[in-house]
Amino acid sequence: MTTTAPAPARSTMPLLSGRVTGQELVLLGVITLLWLALGVSTDTFIQAGTLSNLAYNVAPIALVGIGMTVVIVCGGIDVSVGSAVTVVTVIVAKLVRDQGVSLPVAVVVAVGVGALLGLVNGVLISVGRVHAIIITFGTLNVFRFVALRIFDSEQVAGVPGTLAVLGGGQTGETLHVPHAFVVMLLLAGAMWWYMRNTAGGRHLYAMGGDRLAARLAGVKVQRREVLAYVLTGVLVGLASCVVIGGGGLIGQNVGVGLELQVIAAVVIGGTSIMGGRGTVLGTVLGALLVGTVASGVTILHWPSQLTSLFVGVFILVAVGTDVVRERSRRRA
Amino acid sequence: MDDGTASRGEVLLSVDGLTKSYGAVRALKGVSVEVRRGSVHAVVGENGAGKSTLIKIVSGAESADAGRISFDGAPVAMASTNAAMGLGIATVYQEPQLFADLTVAENIFVGREIVRGGRIDWRAQSERVRTLLADLGLPERYADRQVGDLSVAAQQQVSIAKAMAGEARLLILDEPSAILTDNEIDILFALVRRLVARGVAVIYISHRLDELFRVTDTVTVMRDGDIVGTYPTDDLSVREIAEMMVGHELANDRPDRDAPDGEPLLSLRGLGRGDLFHDIDVDVAAGEIVALYGLVGSGVDEIAKTLYGVERPTAGTIAVAGRPVDVRNPRAAQRSRLAMLPSDRKHQGVFAFQSIAFNITTGHAHRFRRFGFLMDRARENTVAKDLMAKLAVKAPGPRTPLNALSGGNQQKVVLARQLVERPDVLVLEEPTQGVDVGAKEEIHRLVTELAEQGTAILVVTADLPEALRIADRLVVVRQGTTTVEFGPTARQADVLAAAAGDTGSEDAA
Repeated sequence: MTTTAPAPARSTMPLLSGRVTGQELVLLGVITLLWLALGVSTDTFIQAGTLSNLAYNVAPIALVGIGMTVVIVCGGIDVSVGSAVTVVTVIVAKLVRDQGVSLPVAVVVAVGVGALLGLVNGVLISVGRVHAIIITFGTLNVFRFVALRIFDSEQVAGVPGTLAVLGGGQTGETLHVPHAFVVMLLLAGAMWWYMRNTAGGRHLYAMGGDRLAARLAGVKVQRREVLAYVLTGVLVGLASCVVIGGGGLIGQNVGVGLELQVIAAVVIGGTSIMGGRGTVLGTVLGALLVGTVASGVTILHWPSQLTSLFVGVFILVAVGTDVVRERSRRRA
Repeated sequence: MDDGTASRGEVLLSVDGLTKSYGAVRALKGVSVEVRRGSVHAVVGENGAGKSTLIKIVSGAESADAGRISFDGAPVAMASTNAAMGLGIATVYQEPQLFADLTVAENIFVGREIVRGGRIDWRAQSERVRTLLADLGLPERYADRQVGDLSVAAQQQVSIAKAMAGEARLLILDEPSAILTDNEIDILFALVRRLVARGVAVIYISHRLDELFRVTDTVTVMRDGDIVGTYPTDDLSVREIAEMMVGHELANDRPDRDAPDGEPLLSLRGLGRGDLFHDIDVDVAAGEIVALYGLVGSGVDEIAKTLYGVERPTAGTIAVAGRPVDVRNPRAAQRSRLAMLPSDRKHQGVFAFQSIAFNITTGHAHRFRRFGFLMDRARENTVAKDLMAKLAVKAPGPRTPLNALSGGNQQKVVLARQLVERPDVLVLEEPTQGVDVGAKEEIHRLVTELAEQGTAILVVTADLPEALRIADRLVVVRQGTTTVEFGPTARQADVLAAAAGDTGSEDAA
């Protein structure tokens, strides 16, 4: 990965040094252990069907998680993503069913509507100077209202398979790997690189670390902030396509609670909820860990509420690590 | 005024006739000073003397009402901090302004990254920072470490390196030593000397006068918005600088009263916390007012926090009426009849959105209860009204929300809270900070009154005239420990000199 000269014992890439990788390595280790344990103790986990299903389920969470990581790193949060998915999903599902639009048109509309919703959040937060959690909590409810009006008190049934190429079925896979998962990995890789290696990416961290100081250093704080929410909206659009591709029936509860799964993945992935620290790689691993646990609980026929317990423990451990780290810093 | 500056090079910065007013307050009254290349130029003065205003104008953070500034021989308009930085004037503030989660190299380059082909050239940045650090005699290995992992002292060095990365020719250090230990100060001074050897000019702001002799060559003393004089440091002593800062002694308008001399009601023995302060010994008798006076960085504010139970001591004892008490939290302090008035009203003192009555009776709920749980609003109002009258709180009524009041009136309300039940011991921290003159007198009168009723009062303050005015005894805290003690008739210059590190005045008590 390093494109710089490999100098022994010192890295010139900031995020490869120190504890950030530590958290990612730990996550990777935990996931590997879980996979090994599940593979040994069950006959069904290490099977193409199970794993591709796991990958498909993780994809939308990780996709939105990419945007959420950016938003949280630069000091905000977006709790409206679940409702935004509902809005995009119902609009695009109805277009596909009633107007018979093609795949490219459906994707463009999804991304466009998502970006618009993100723009609304970004502008309100940037102009209103109210904490992002309040603004997006408001838009969560407004988006939900909009979505329900479009649903018009019915489910959207009989959606044709226009988006199945991004879905969880046979058409959505190549060699048992869901296309949605591949798209997510490509985008995550691109974002990861951007955040590590470009001035614009590093400025996101500066903003989250100290907003005023970042502005004084010449960072266009407001513009970058709005863009972070727009990016999240774009990813919400893609995630919605993945959801629609998954099946012919879109219920009114689609997307409900997604924001919590996404934020869980981001936090477990080592991103500080206070901003200034975190990576997209961590978020993808966080989403994979949550997906693995959910899948494992199902396969082992354990009560499904155990998933919540495990996710809760992971979040507390991740946040605890963060707190311990900050305290030890302050003592230094 | 008089200008016997040690000339160590040509004039780099020259300000002439600078004036600046904030409302009715004239912060600068026509200040002229010259700073030379390769010189460490100290600017000293008491709080409010005008040094920070002068610095703000020179660094472009504020603009002057009148006067000229020239830099490197050419007149300049210092329109913004960016303009100042463009000229090569950099300011390092007391608290490092850095991004904790970025590396040192990134911090130094943030906003002007070296970009090649769309991506940051980490290697080039790191190399440049290593060269810069080596150049300044700082450890090269800092370059790729996250700033948050470095000590405060190292962070300050990074701030200086950041300033120097912009090719600063005039470096302003605003009380750099206040947050450092002795050892770290040595390292700072070594760094300053290296910069000066390269022809950089340094303006050095400090309250610790003893330091000036170790690192500066020129001293400008300010008082009341004017410059008292500029001298070669070596021609002066701590004592002389202190005299100039204070000016002629004002007649001490101290209320006439006899200092009581009973058994100590509050007694601190060998009190210490970490490396912030140690071996604090103070006794306060019933009815006595003792002031703990120390400069910024002396640790005096940390002592107050410990007495409040906000932080726990790591050594020594606090005794009230001869019995040791464990002040493990503010509630425990209150139960030992130890009351306190914190300096940070906003965070520790008031409930801004609540009424005056609420603010006064908070913590005394048991006195206003009916049937064991209902608040007796009528009685609450009566007590609040009484105290408001007694303290001359200017407000429509006891139900006025606190944030509708001026700072002085808010402070009176917080003080009133301590008067609902007269405490045995009252600790006041900067009781009149940010309060107008009228309210200040009111507060002093009340404190004295409380003492006369038998409360032992400890005032922790950096306001020397105030300390001398209300205290029966004044204990100087320097470098984290109690040193000399003065009576109420001590001269300001003597106390200041002792607090600022003139060890020769130990016998001045």
